[in-house]
Amino acid sequence: MRDVVIGIGFVIAGVVTIYTAQQFPTLPSLQFGPSLFPSIVGGGFCIGGAVLMLSGMWQRHRGADQMMQSDLQAAERETTEFETTEFEAIEFETTTFETSTLSASELEGAEPPSGKISWAMILPPLMIVFYVVASPYIGALFAMIIIMFSLMMLRKTVLYVAVAASVGVSLAIYFIFSHYLLVPLPQGVLLGGNLPWML
Amino acid sequence: MDALINGFALVLTLDTMLVIIAASLFGIFVGAVPGLTATMAVALLVPVTFYMDTTPAIAAIVSTSAMAIFAGDIPGTYLNIPGTPASAAYVTESYSLAKKGRAREVLGINLVCSVFGGIFGTVILIVVAQSLAEVALQFSAFEYFWLAVLGLSCSIFISIGSKTKAFLSLLFGILLSTVGLDMMSGAPRFTFGVPDLMAGVNFIPVMIGMFALNELMNYYSSKSEKKTINIVATDSVFHNVPKHTKRYWRNMLRGSSIGTLIGALPGAGADIAAWIAYAVGKSRSKDKAKYGTGHIEGIVDASSANNSGLSGAWVPALVFGIPGDSITAIVIGVLYMKGMNPGPTIFMDGSGLIYALFIVFIIANLMMLPIGYMAIRLSKFFILTPSRVLMPVILCFCIVGAFAINNSIVDVWIMLVIGLVAYVLAVNGFPMAPAILGLVLGSTVENNFMSAMLRTGGDLTSFFARPISAGLGIAVIVLWCSPLLVKAYRYQQSRSARASS
Repeated sequence: MRDVVIGIGFVIAGVVTIYTAQQFPTLPSLQFGPSLFPSIVGGGFCIGGAVLMLSGMWQRHRGADQMMQSDLQAAERETTEFETTEFEAIEFETTTFETSTLSASELEGAEPPSGKISWAMILPPLMIVFYVVASPYIGALFAMIIIMFSLMMLRKTVLYVAVAASVGVSLAIYFIFSHYLLVPLPQGVLLGGNLPWML
Repeated sequence: MDALINGFALVLTLDTMLVIIAASLFGIFVGAVPGLTATMAVALLVPVTFYMDTTPAIAAIVSTSAMAIFAGDIPGTYLNIPGTPASAAYVTESYSLAKKGRAREVLGINLVCSVFGGIFGTVILIVVAQSLAEVALQFSAFEYFWLAVLGLSCSIFISIGSKTKAFLSLLFGILLSTVGLDMMSGAPRFTFGVPDLMAGVNFIPVMIGMFALNELMNYYSSKSEKKTINIVATDSVFHNVPKHTKRYWRNMLRGSSIGTLIGALPGAGADIAAWIAYAVGKSRSKDKAKYGTGHIEGIVDASSANNSGLSGAWVPALVFGIPGDSITAIVIGVLYMKGMNPGPTIFMDGSGLIYALFIVFIIANLMMLPIGYMAIRLSKFFILTPSRVLMPVILCFCIVGAFAINNSIVDVWIMLVIGLVAYVLAVNGFPMAPAILGLVLGSTVENNFMSAMLRTGGDLTSFFARPISAGLGIAVIVLWCSPLLVKAYRYQQSRSARASS
């Protein structure tokens, strides 16, 4: 089901890309120019998205079919049991590698499509938005302390560990980047832009 | 000879050695925490290496990645959870052996195989890269175009899972590479009026978003984080290593060769190398039945392969500027930032930098022995560092790191957007490696294509006019037709089988 939605998403993205690319100028000596590659990518998005969409629909269709036929199959299974087990034994040898590689991709962090996803995944992006919005006012140091502390508490860290870790590590990161690597991290207007080591 | 001495002088300084040690410790940490990958370690490291000289910067990347790939075996052995995807191939073997009280023995052989694989890959890199560079000197826009296309195609065909998804992932990367001023006409593309986007999408925030933010979101979407070790390890780390290496030296050699080769293919890194080496090792083994129940032989092949893959990936990266895996994709970005153009000329400039790089590889891999030994003895400390404390720290690192590259808040937004897109794609089974390759090679393909077209006035046949170019072009076409050929072959075989039965 998700594949269908993502496929549609890619097709739309492809159309938008091609439309945007049409407005780029062409080179005088050639028939094409800066718009060529974005248009190819847009076309690819459309084709790939359509394939994904259709295969997703087909799989869903087949899935529904299988549900209906499962009763029928159960009856049939008894008669064909011997054949299938033998078939499976042969099949097993050839597919071990494929299945093992498949499980690799799952281990990389991809949740199985059927798995329910917790909304807590939105926390890191929200914290980044918070940093971007808040750091000009409260400064990078305090923004980092707040981010670390709240995230740690959300995962039920012991209070004193959370306080010590968030303050200690924020100070360390702030010091390394602003003092040692000379990155102008926002200091914020809260302390008048005067933290002791940033003279 | 002068260049070699220069190389030694560049590496054997206190700074560089300290960087190697610090980077190795960092690598162990990231590798040993499940959910944090070696690529993520390198992506987080880049903002810091940005402020270093070239040699220590490369040393930091090499030692971090090598150490992280080894350290991925530690939680694999103790918890049955691979620390990095590259260790996934043999966790069952390691964990079964650990349950029998042989955890340290397993990690000892892992360590030795990793060091051997890493050095094997380096030797290949030293030998092959130099001679390939001489061939590459004759390349022009036509050859580079085909080479980049070949690399991009490889990344699709070698990917795991749906090829359509790999293809879309690749296109996404190429689209990102087109953002910014067009090289030929100077027309702005997809910049949406943001001046920071004129120079193109910065590479490092994209990497941080794709590999770090994505993983962080994964972590927060999962509920449980129980990590308890029920395994007692009191056995000796190195006691049985001579016995195993004597018995399985062929596996070490084979695993390392497979790893180097797979690593050198664009888009395939240490994880795929480990899977393939494991599968090949199993099919060639005398005791296949023991596989999956805790068999040292299964570990030897794959454990050598993932580290040699790491070194192998540097061959195309240095010679052609085409990354072999996502880590070398980052490295290419770093080299450009340091004003070095990856390509054959890097071998000819006589500054000794290339020798320094080779020496760094050897030292970083040898350094794995003592540091890895320490890590094995202190395994529990590394594994039990609570993720709930570590993950928020990494998030802050991501933000500050993305900002630090250009001191621009736009880069933080880029990281955020890319992270969100990558998360949605990765959760739905899209591989990330093709996207990275598309981003790195997209402009190579486009610029070489356009400059070739301008030179020949739009004559497409000129791509087949030079011998090497034609050869590469045909290789690309064959590669694209290969699924059809395989299908036709299988169909033919099944038909003949049916006919005979």
